[in-house]
Amino acid sequence: MNCMFLLSDNGEVMLEKQWMGQPVDRSICSWFWAQNDSRKVPSVIASPTYYVFHIVREGITFLACSKTEMPPLLGIEFLCKVADVISEYLGGITEDLIKDNFVIVYQLLDEMMDNGFPLTTEINTLKDMIAPPNIVSRMLSVVTGGSSNMNTVLPIATTSNWPWRSTDVKYSNNEVYFDLVEEMDVIVNRDGFLIKYEVYGEIRVIARLSGVPELTMTFANPSIINDVSFHPCVQFRPWETHQQLTFVPPDGEFKLMSYRVKKLKNTPIYVKPQFSSTGGLCRVSILVGIRNDPGKQIDYTTLEFPLPSSVASWDLTANHGNISSSPGSKTLTWTIGKMPKDKSPCLSGTMHLEKGMDHLEEFPTLLVKFKIMGIAMSGLRIDRTDVRNVTYSPHKGFRAVSKAANYEIRT
Amino acid sequence: MPPPPPHRPTSTSTPSGKGELAELKTQLRQLAGSRAPGVEDLKRELYKKVISYMTIGIDVSPLFSEMVMCSATSDVVLKKMCYLYVGNYARVHPDLALLTINFLQKDCQDEYPMIRGLALRSLCSLRVQNLVEYLVGPLRSGLKDTHGYVRTVAVLGVLKLYHIAPNACKDNDFPAMLKELIHRDGDSQLHFSFVSGGIQFFYLMNNEHMIYMIKDFSEWAQCLVLEMVAKYVPEDPNETFDIMNLLEDRLQHANSAVVLATIKVFLNLTMSMADVHQQVYERIKAPLMTLVSSGSPEQSYAVLCHLHLLVMRAPVLFSSDYKHFYCRYSDPSYIKKLKLEMLTAVANENNTYEIVTELSEYAANVDVAIARESIRAVGKIALQQYDVNAIVDRLLQFLEMEKDYVTAETLVLVKDLLRKYPQWSQDCIAVVGNVSSKHVQEPKAKAALLWMLGEYALEMPDAPYVLEGFVESWAEEESPEVRLELLTAVAKCFFRRAPETQKILGAALAAALSDAHQDVHDRGLLYYRLLQHGVETAERVINPPKQAVSVFADTQSSEIKDRIFDEFNTLAVVYQQPSYMFLDKEHRGAFEFSDDTSTNASVTESSETMLASQSVDANDNDLLLSASEKEDTRGNLVSNGSSSYVAPSNSLIDGLGSFTVPPAASSLPTASFAIDDLLGLSLSTNSPESTLAQPSLVLNAKPALNPGAFQQKWRQLPVASTEDYGLSSQAAANLTGPQPLLKHMQTHLIHCIASGGQAPNFKFFFFAQKSNASTGLGYFLVECIINVTARKCTVNYKTDESDLLESFAAVFKSAILNFGV
Repeated sequence: MNCMFLLSDNGEVMLEKQWMGQPVDRSICSWFWAQNDSRKVPSVIASPTYYVFHIVREGITFLACSKTEMPPLLGIEFLCKVADVISEYLGGITEDLIKDNFVIVYQLLDEMMDNGFPLTTEINTLKDMIAPPNIVSRMLSVVTGGSSNMNTVLPIATTSNWPWRSTDVKYSNNEVYFDLVEEMDVIVNRDGFLIKYEVYGEIRVIARLSGVPELTMTFANPSIINDVSFHPCVQFRPWETHQQLTFVPPDGEFKLMSYRVKKLKNTPIYVKPQFSSTGGLCRVSILVGIRNDPGKQIDYTTLEFPLPSSVASWDLTANHGNISSSPGSKTLTWTIGKMPKDKSPCLSGTMHLEKGMDHLEEFPTLLVKFKIMGIAMSGLRIDRTDVRNVTYSPHKGFRAVSKAANYEIRT
Repeated sequence: MPPPPPHRPTSTSTPSGKGELAELKTQLRQLAGSRAPGVEDLKRELYKKVISYMTIGIDVSPLFSEMVMCSATSDVVLKKMCYLYVGNYARVHPDLALLTINFLQKDCQDEYPMIRGLALRSLCSLRVQNLVEYLVGPLRSGLKDTHGYVRTVAVLGVLKLYHIAPNACKDNDFPAMLKELIHRDGDSQLHFSFVSGGIQFFYLMNNEHMIYMIKDFSEWAQCLVLEMVAKYVPEDPNETFDIMNLLEDRLQHANSAVVLATIKVFLNLTMSMADVHQQVYERIKAPLMTLVSSGSPEQSYAVLCHLHLLVMRAPVLFSSDYKHFYCRYSDPSYIKKLKLEMLTAVANENNTYEIVTELSEYAANVDVAIARESIRAVGKIALQQYDVNAIVDRLLQFLEMEKDYVTAETLVLVKDLLRKYPQWSQDCIAVVGNVSSKHVQEPKAKAALLWMLGEYALEMPDAPYVLEGFVESWAEEESPEVRLELLTAVAKCFFRRAPETQKILGAALAAALSDAHQDVHDRGLLYYRLLQHGVETAERVINPPKQAVSVFADTQSSEIKDRIFDEFNTLAVVYQQPSYMFLDKEHRGAFEFSDDTSTNASVTESSETMLASQSVDANDNDLLLSASEKEDTRGNLVSNGSSSYVAPSNSLIDGLGSFTVPPAASSLPTASFAIDDLLGLSLSTNSPESTLAQPSLVLNAKPALNPGAFQQKWRQLPVASTEDYGLSSQAAANLTGPQPLLKHMQTHLIHCIASGGQAPNFKFFFFAQKSNASTGLGYFLVECIINVTARKCTVNYKTDESDLLESFAAVFKSAILNFGV
């Protein structure tokens, strides 16, 4: 990888970092921006001179160029990592944050890649080398008149057995939290049949543990999992033999594992849309309700309804929640919020089609969003976790949340 | 920090930019020697300003010496900023780089390992050839440093040194030092950098050693090691299994790059073991699917491209996972396109119904491009002959949706479907007959509709009347493709329903003969003469009995797919083209068409619109041989077996393909035939063929000569005459590729058998045959070398008809000089 650019959301070059002997001219950025007109360019494209990788995070484009053939995912993974690290360091990715802290970003890029190949990308190791610009260090620099924002201590993690963890972590309160986050991927077809229902789950961990603890986690029903992928800290053998996760956690927040559960059957809610159109008028009725009570509150329910282009005006009301529309995008959003248990929210009314249209020719796809706290829709349950190799017994916390990530209702 | 002032990148030339630079310069100078308290802060602000200028593209190199002077400081951030600055400008100003050597070398002995490392890195990053001698010392001590960070930097430094001065690297024994380090140093960070750095030195080192240590490496280094393993050929199956067992857990790594690299190893290792290879597919399916659903959209896309490749290669194995390829509403269209292709590929007896149902839902999609694509996908599945019954119903339902683009796509498909399954004609024709021709706008769809009208004239009662409507609006029809098809359709209709069509055919022929487009004109003339010759003959040529098409030519040959597969986990997969197709291009100049790339080039070209027999090649003999070979393969591929005749629409000229018919007389006496009266035609006297025919020489319109025979003749015959002609500037301008000239010469009954070259140099082999010649005799062979920039054309004639050579040369000369006029 030859170089990297950060582009603002109007294509301006905010930052440029060259890693190889031959610098890449920044005209590649304007070339890219010309290609990127509609923002619909695949993440890897070939310019006349370079292969151009890019990812977009919060409107900021991370652009990298390579002169030679390379594994595409190496490039994309690296860019994602850079985005993650910068966002962790600066507390977000915005144009202003990057411009204010460009010295830090330069330092990070310097350590993350050298000679065109990724070097240190572990955030914990990086934090040992380059101190994040937190309020404390800013205060310090003001008070003491300018100590550097760089640790002069040796970067210890680079020499430990666990590259993701430094050995001298110390906390007065030892605690570890596990978050089970599941996303539902559902497609319901026109006739109301469930044609796809899958859950993609992640276990996120926040570890604030002193020393070098070894954790073991077991599941009550590991057999439902279709496929898993692990953080490098997870040992493979115990999983192979006992479906057990054994790991020395990195310090702080990280994604321990992700998994997939296929072929689920019961969606928590139902959505029954009806459209009937004649003579330029379209009658709409969308009924939403609880199908299989998950036992917990279904919250933050919204339904996005992209209006077909032939709709000229609409007159829709809901008996629960409210309807809003953004003028530019032609999308209605019906916010239901907490799903009532005693009645079924209903959106009804009519839409007027544009002149000359007799009936609706496009079939809109409804997108449903909701969150259920306290339950994992796949049914995966954590049985127990043990902490070994340390003298204290830490506070342990567990949470679960299920989200509708891609819940499509076709009409 | 204040936001950088809104300078344009070129503002060094503007007075304000210069003024600011001068100001910075004086400020830096003042601070350089100062030891006052707080001076570091001031310096830092100035440095930040300089670097922010640099970032937005202003050239701040004039400050170089001041920056270096100020860098004598203990402040690490200042140092870092200075290193950044120096690294950026040293390459452009090697003379200035010398200035920095001193202070970098000093920093390499700093008490802080961080500074030692950074200084060493900056020193190595200068990459100026004449500074190599200064690098060796610091590198040597860097490799022996007590701190891992410095050693890491040093290892990478050795690699950088290797890039600018490989000899200096070897002379100083660095490879040996690195080798020793890896065995001694337990530092995992260093292992990693060693691998990334050392991979270039120890490419052939013991792989196994690396594999066993793989878990100690960083994820990026694992990718490199895996890349190396993928090239390794195990000695026996046991070793293969050992390696695979060792690497299996890498498939569950969170980093998709590692997973993909591992998959590549697995696929490569088992390439020769068919059954294990299948198992590997089964094993890698789940991790790939997880990656698709887990990562960011960008990662998903890249993984999906790889999945696409695997699906295309082994669709059967993925046939139960088709639901993963269902498009999401929010997917960008390039992802939807990939998914559609995969859905098409995995369709089999068991899932066709569901897949087609799913695809049909996309046909109503808001995204027109995807709607089209999905209709095409339905058609492709139909052509794969699973459950055609249901699919035909679907397609016919599309026609009832009354959306122009849906109708257009569907018509094209129904046409293909009928070519393959003539037995479905009744159902289809009933529905197609209801399609109002007014709703069909796109040329392809029109052509398809016309084809069906011509082909099924008997089944469609109003076919002649619909055709009549088309003929009436002949002048408004813009696409020559449609006009050609219309002509053929009318002719075919005529053979079936002569009484109703007779008038229309006359009108169509008249319109065709006065058509400005060469092909339309030619086809009109051909039909006219065939009809003159006799209606049966004409029918035999224009509307011969057809066989159902069994296999349609594939767009991407399996050879290309194999090539891409060999490049698994590279960019080639994302582009869906083997790397030679895009990698070479950027280095390929006009004259760099060396022999070894020529075969590649011909693949590229033929995969596009070029005809195989006219592929680009410089080597004559090779060219002729390969042309004849390709002709054979093409004959197999292209359904209707059209031979070397070039027509704009390959798929629709069914009847015209069979030009092995004995040469039809091109210069018939112009006496008006009965058929003229029949069709109500009156040809004007200056019809083109009168200008073609030279007094003493009449050329055969359809000479037959295959490349092999040509080559043989070319070898046997001596050069009869050599001439040079000058070309007009228009001709030179028109000659951007071989095609235009070929078409032009064909109108003069001189045919091309092979052509090649890149602008400005082209080479053609033409041939012609005098009419009425006995088989295998009366040929004129021409080698024609054209240089476009010099506008010169060298022609070598060979013939076995030497007494007519002069008049042929005259024909050829006038033909080639008329080109572009």
